[in-house]
Amino acid sequence: MIKIVDLHKKFGDLHVLKGINLNVNKGEVMVILGPSGSGKSTLLRSINLLEVPTSGHIYFDDVDITAKKIDRNRVRQRVGMVFQAFNLFPHMTVLGNVTLALLKVLKMKKDEAVKIGTDLLIRVGLRDKINSYPNQLSGGQKQRVAIARALAMNPEVMLFDEVTSALDPELVKEVLDVMKDLAKSGMTMLVVTHEMGFAKEVGSHVIFMDEGLIVEEGLAADIFENPRHPRTKVFLDAVLH
Amino acid sequence: MEGIQNLLEKYFSVGIIWEILPYLLKGALFTIIFSVSSEIIGIIIGLVTSMIRTSKIKVLNQLAMIYVDLFRGTPLLMQIIFVYYALPYLGINLPAPIAGIVALSVNSGAYVTEIFRAGIDSIDKGQIEASRSLGMSYIKTMRYIIIPQTFKRVLPPLTNEFVALIKDSSLLSVIAISELLRTAREMMTWKLNPSSLTAAAILYLLITLPLTRLVSHMENKLKKSDAH
Ligand SMILES: Nc1ncnc2c1ncn2[C@@H]1O[C@H](COP(=O)(O)OP(=O)(O)OP(=O)(O)O)[C@@H](O)[C@H]1O
Ligand SMILES: [Mg+2]
Repeated sequence: MIKIVDLHKKFGDLHVLKGINLNVNKGEVMVILGPSGSGKSTLLRSINLLEVPTSGHIYFDDVDITAKKIDRNRVRQRVGMVFQAFNLFPHMTVLGNVTLALLKVLKMKKDEAVKIGTDLLIRVGLRDKINSYPNQLSGGQKQRVAIARALAMNPEVMLFDEVTSALDPELVKEVLDVMKDLAKSGMTMLVVTHEMGFAKEVGSHVIFMDEGLIVEEGLAADIFENPRHPRTKVFLDAVLH
Repeated sequence: MEGIQNLLEKYFSVGIIWEILPYLLKGALFTIIFSVSSEIIGIIIGLVTSMIRTSKIKVLNQLAMIYVDLFRGTPLLMQIIFVYYALPYLGINLPAPIAGIVALSVNSGAYVTEIFRAGIDSIDKGQIEASRSLGMSYIKTMRYIIIPQTFKRVLPPLTNEFVALIKDSSLLSVIAISELLRTAREMMTWKLNPSSLTAAAILYLLITLPLTRLVSHMENKLKKSDAH
């Protein structure tokens, strides 16, 4: 479904991605691990073109989305993204956040959009917060709204970038639960996380990144049981114990 | 004692003020019309230019920057004179009132550009990314996400700019527009008494004071809502 070929990204002189090759099949949950600064976020952000690759190709169902003539807004409609900092729109209600793109991008009718938005908010357990504003919500609730907002566009892939890192520990579970359900429903997901329990339980594949390269990849079960690359071992030892 | 008596007679002659008040009020009306229309056009110019300034289109960005620098870095009086007296050589003949509004709004647009740009810059970049990641275009992101959040923050500096514009509109007197200050000076020559200037000052205050009070009020409210 997604095929990344020799992807490079430079910020000025800083070479952040140094030739990433990766395949993600439909329904897979790809967990991305790696130390800070290894390029995890940059990789995710490249997939929905928030970062424009310096060279290399990203194919989405065999269409090269790094091609010049590609409509980036169309690509982004097919890829949902959830951020560490929630990034909810503070001047809109919860429902307003979730329905915005349906109304303004897909030009859907109001009642139709409200129906979809309401269903999604019920799905993430926020039925009674529909008319609240983001500043009236807890971190966990905000992040669930952000997930619903991304799902509203009915994306084929969801990208999660450390979505629980800014949460108080007791609020992490409610967000992970929503993500688990999503994975069960067959959503293709790329997840940057430090939640090893989640990675083990929900991840189907794992890649380990270091200094802009994927140094190890494989089935989640294998990598957690016997990591081969010394860097992966050190990293897993540090986070698991 | 005699000094004070003279001062009162010259600058605070109630009789004269009463007599010329209708003319001054008409001047004040012109001042308001010129300032309000120039401010509105200036806001439209500033809105567009600030979006260009925050976009990534290099050439347009440079042009916008030159525009802002040029009109903030030269005296407004000069700009008014240029629009009215120099443009005719290029075949652009504007009647004085139009030339006045053009000069004032283009000048105000430069200041408004910087006010909006600062406002847009103060919005967290994550807002733009979240919006773009939903497939919203740059224009839609500006319209539905950034500008609405910016507006609240720019209202105080924008109102301050409007107050400055009201006072600056007195410079239109050089191209014979009978706004408040010019009317007052005409009355002064007519009555051989400068009390009209005092009255005009009071009228300026009556127009600007509510606005400056409004700014403090808005700033207080903003402080409270940001503290949330
Ligand atoms: N817009 C940018 N401009 C310049 N440098 C950037 C930019 N974005 C990221 N970088 C740099 O690229 C490198 C990789 O960043 P990235 O955010 O992808 O790492 P990460 O693996 O997600 O790290 P973390 O675990 O801390 O989130 C870092 O050195 C970072 O400073
Ligand atoms: Mg990161």
